[in-house]
Amino acid sequence: MNLLPLFQWFDSTALSKVIRDSTYIFPVVEVFHLFGLTLLLGTVTVMSMRMLGLGMRRQSVYQVARNLMPWSFWAAVLTIVSGILLFLSEAMKCYGNAAFPWKMYFLGAGILVYLLWQRRVAHPDSKMGSGQLKVLAIVTLVLWYGVALAGRAIAFV
Amino acid sequence: MSLFEICQWIQDSNIGTSIRESTYVFPLIEAAHVIGLAISVGTIAIVDLRLIGAAMTDEPVTDVIEQLQPLTLTGFTVMFLSGIFLFWSEAARLYPSYSYRTKFVFLFLLGINALYFHATTYKSVGKWNHDRMTPFKARMAGWIGISFWAVVIFMGRWTAYNLK
Repeated sequence: MNLLPLFQWFDSTALSKVIRDSTYIFPVVEVFHLFGLTLLLGTVTVMSMRMLGLGMRRQSVYQVARNLMPWSFWAAVLTIVSGILLFLSEAMKCYGNAAFPWKMYFLGAGILVYLLWQRRVAHPDSKMGSGQLKVLAIVTLVLWYGVALAGRAIAFV
Repeated sequence: MSLFEICQWIQDSNIGTSIRESTYVFPLIEAAHVIGLAISVGTIAIVDLRLIGAAMTDEPVTDVIEQLQPLTLTGFTVMFLSGIFLFWSEAARLYPSYSYRTKFVFLFLLGINALYFHATTYKSVGKWNHDRMTPFKARMAGWIGISFWAVVIFMGRWTAYNLK
């Protein structure tokens, strides 16, 4: 599948040009991307540590997930929306970039795992055993840290 | 020797030069800096959100603060050490940067905010541990924490753009 025309189209939208032509929009959007990433990775880490039995043990897995999952969700929304703006302004740079597809694979897998599996932890009737919770914790840690590291690598590869 | 000359000397040192000219070391240290930031500031944000009554409000304040502290300290150590090495590799370029200086002013103020909170307001936590609405001074500490950390992240990212 040839994705070049798609990336060229993303690169040529009116919004892409506005962001590219401004000195300040890109850095400001990137700061919001970092705010979202900080809260997303922070809350995912805390929930995973609880699922692994390594932190917040005075609260149940459900209590921690119920409290923090909404923050993870909205932090992810902020990170993804700001990320789309960053992407639009440099879609052609991303097209030739070796790290970008990896970031997208991790992101896609992270979203799928959230929708099909992770979000059930925040449900009061969830009956996941401790083994399954540990696997889920490791999977979500690998995927979301994978997104962040592959994302940082875009600037260097 | 002026402060700038000291920074130039640090940047020109063997370690500083090796980091700056490496293909992998600089990006890896920078990645560690971002991960350390996410873990420390992410967990600090949860504590601050508890103090302002926005997150984990059904859980006691002491449970949130005490149980997140190891993660915060681990993340902060990673962020601090990686930050030292990043500074080492470009000290003279960072020295004149106003955003870099501003970042440290706010880090200092955050330190004072945390020390003041733990030395005064937090002493009486037994009286408001289970309250959704914490005392005014605790809510202030939370708001200052969140907004000043946002400034630190902003200034840190801004520094990289000003460098060019």
